[in-house]
Amino acid sequence: MRSRISNLKDILWVLAFAGLVAGGFRLWYGLGATTNLTDAVPWGLWKILNMVAGVAISTAGFTVGFLVYVLKLERFRPLMKPAILVAFLGYGCSCLALLFDIGLPHRFWHPFILWNEHSFLFEVFWCVTLYFTVTAIELAPLVFEKLRAEKVTRFLHRIAFGVVVVGISLSSLHHSSLGSLFLVTPQRLHPLWYTPLLPLLFILSAMGAGMMFVVLIRFLHAYLYDPDAVLGPSHLKRQLLLLRPGEDRAAATRPGGRDMPMLTALASIATGILGVYLVLQLFELGRSGLWAALVAGTWESWLFAAEILLTAVIPILLVWLPGTRGLPQPLGYAALSASAGLALNRVNVGIFGYFRDAGVVYFPSLAEWALSLGVVAAAGLAFLAFVENFPVFEEGWKERRRAARLSCASFDSFSRVWETALRGGVERVSLIAVLVIPFSWAVMYPSYRDDTAAAVRPAAGIDVARTTLLIDGNQSGVRTEFPHAEHRERLGGDSSCGECHHLSLPGDETTPCSRCHGHLVRPTRIFEHQHHRRVVAEEEGLGGWIPENRTCTVCHTGTGGAAKTAATAKPCLECHEEDRGWAEAEEGADLAWAVSYMEAMHTNCVTCHEEEGERQDRPTLGDCATCHSSLTPREGTAAAPLVLAGRSQQGAAARKPDGS
Amino acid sequence: MKAILVDVTKCTGCERCVDACVEENGGDPIQAQLDRATTKDGLSANRLLSVAQVADGRFARLTCMHCLEPSCVSACLVGSITKTPEGPVVYDPEKCIGCRYCMLACPFHIPRYEWSETTPFVRKCDMCFQRQLQGEVPACVDACPNEALQFGEREQLLGEAHRLIASGGGRYLDRVWGEHELGGTGVLYISDVDLGAVGWPEPETEAIPSLTEPLIAKTPGIGLGVMGVLLGINWVIRRRMRLAAEAAGEATDADSGGEATE
Repeated sequence: MRSRISNLKDILWVLAFAGLVAGGFRLWYGLGATTNLTDAVPWGLWKILNMVAGVAISTAGFTVGFLVYVLKLERFRPLMKPAILVAFLGYGCSCLALLFDIGLPHRFWHPFILWNEHSFLFEVFWCVTLYFTVTAIELAPLVFEKLRAEKVTRFLHRIAFGVVVVGISLSSLHHSSLGSLFLVTPQRLHPLWYTPLLPLLFILSAMGAGMMFVVLIRFLHAYLYDPDAVLGPSHLKRQLLLLRPGEDRAAATRPGGRDMPMLTALASIATGILGVYLVLQLFELGRSGLWAALVAGTWESWLFAAEILLTAVIPILLVWLPGTRGLPQPLGYAALSASAGLALNRVNVGIFGYFRDAGVVYFPSLAEWALSLGVVAAAGLAFLAFVENFPVFEEGWKERRRAARLSCASFDSFSRVWETALRGGVERVSLIAVLVIPFSWAVMYPSYRDDTAAAVRPAAGIDVARTTLLIDGNQSGVRTEFPHAEHRERLGGDSSCGECHHLSLPGDETTPCSRCHGHLVRPTRIFEHQHHRRVVAEEEGLGGWIPENRTCTVCHTGTGGAAKTAATAKPCLECHEEDRGWAEAEEGADLAWAVSYMEAMHTNCVTCHEEEGERQDRPTLGDCATCHSSLTPREGTAAAPLVLAGRSQQGAAARKPDGS
Repeated sequence: MKAILVDVTKCTGCERCVDACVEENGGDPIQAQLDRATTKDGLSANRLLSVAQVADGRFARLTCMHCLEPSCVSACLVGSITKTPEGPVVYDPEKCIGCRYCMLACPFHIPRYEWSETTPFVRKCDMCFQRQLQGEVPACVDACPNEALQFGEREQLLGEAHRLIASGGGRYLDRVWGEHELGGTGVLYISDVDLGAVGWPEPETEAIPSLTEPLIAKTPGIGLGVMGVLLGINWVIRRRMRLAAEAAGEATDADSGGEATE
């Protein structure tokens, strides 16, 4: 029993430490460096899974409160404290994750003073914050009872009913408003999920599946500390493993422990609500004529079907079918299924439902997963700490606490520490931290993605043999025609090359522009260090075995011990006197850098065209459309398929003819 | 209320408006060129205006439409985005908390986020509000060499648009994009090709705030109503329990039953 608890704690500590590292990276390096969020998918894992789904799954505080305090169904009272604890920790870890998700966490308090009461997010913010406070007040008696602060405890008990009523009211508002958040995206959210009924669907599913989550938590608690309460006297393994032929079927399928009637009753109520939810979902599908979309076989339809099955159909069947009703094992699976289905529903609405519109698929980064699971793991640890130190689940908690107590050894010797580190206690947690933090640091260290290098290919060379060159600088498939032979003839045959080709490499007469102007829009560094070493050695007449090794100080003069870099070399113009004229005329010109392909072509052509246009009195000669004929509006052109924004991958490339 | 009228038939796609926009908003021109090539619609936090090809030789500018009933303004929980009486929809970085709900709420996918910053803000076109206050026209309108953009009062521009359509002799399709869509926008388009593919919805599409604001106005009532119903149910149940207890001849302690339950 003890090893099961400590194994779970180990896993939770690992996740929590990894989340700590991810959170640190998020705060230090920013959202863009640590997440895979983009302008197309601005809301990701933290907001949807942690906040929207996390809050939904922690509904139990208000639903069980309604049953116990308002309807006076005292049989559910044993679940009241676990439900409140789930709500408190669930909301707490959701808010914590959200704090990392917002771009400016230090301004989280802004909505307290800056109001926009037209925003559903504003309402959600206030209700969630207030309700979190309510759960804290509801949970407080547990702590004050332990502290024996009797006056405070008595006061808290006196206001309990009022607090619960306020809590239920706040919950019914924000659970529906979390659905209303997505009402603003009728054009963007997939029609399977977009419906005006979103608020109603959200609150129904949260209530039903939230109750099932309390059942799941009761199961989890029992699995760790107290199997008899749920599973009955027989050993857990026999319940969970499939029966082998000849085994005692009666013993294995015996109705479970003392809590089972209560849990079955709660699950019946929950599945009743989920039944209403299911009917409403199907009704809404029929009303909007989306049955076809449901069986269309797209991945959205599969996700939708999976969500409906998990949230409603499977739990309802498992709880109500006579063959499985009242048995612990099916009930546990029903609770697991409903909780998973609820989370899937929220992720579908908040993330998957937007992929088709966004035109991109978002998959969370490692750091996103780590923080997301890390805060949940931290809440899990807090849950275990509460359960072990306070009477959350009422019966026999002290014995369980004794069983789970962790040994604490002093740092008396190395071997002793090592031994305790392997066995348990603070040392073990430290060991986990020492192992996990550097590892997650290494794997999650933000690497800045440089998409531009891959997406913009180098400017293309052109086929000089043609009389008309087809220039396609960005290789987008849209070409600009350049009548090369015609220009050559008009400008005076062979002697005219230099008019445009300002430079040819030694021994080369047809150096393409793109040789130096290598990138469409970025300047290219064209300084050749090796070439300079060789030429300088020849010109300076340097001797020795390797004359080139003696050339350094020719350019890197007087670095005074500093490294010999481009920054410490003498200016190019000190040697390249012939270039002084134009380099000084053009502000910021640098001989070591060639301007981008587009700029080179434009400067070369447009300057000449504008001068000629003035001389020949043809003012349009310098216009874009003179060369970029595709830019000219033409009569009767057929509408091409559109090329824009998240709708076509070719969009970016085909959107514009090159150069403009 | 100020607006911009775009004549798609006159736009040659030269993107001088984009260059002017980048310069006006302090962007990096080289990064803007890279953004054009590496983003799907040419918009980035550095490049708030983009020109999209809608058909062969037909271009439409893509930037904030300055809706008359903006979804982003309604969505922003701290009121960081506002619709000015002059027309532009402007963003106040001092209030923003970075929730990015405006980005989700915009039906035109316009707001961009400074993902590479550690203290990131939202970036979007503000129709050069500061220039407008000084009596100047927006930088893009100023830069257009082909008079494809006109800046002026929305009502006058609408009249001008309809006049152009009527006198164009079939040159334009009989529709002013932005006149009615989503409650009307502050950027109007006339065109000879359909602009549906640039993200324009049907003319009768409702403004998004009209989907949510009537609902949210009801929330205080719903909250109080729920509270009242709860108290009512509880009162009925406690009374029944007390009557049942009295009937069973037991002592009544219902007063303490509801308040202090333990």
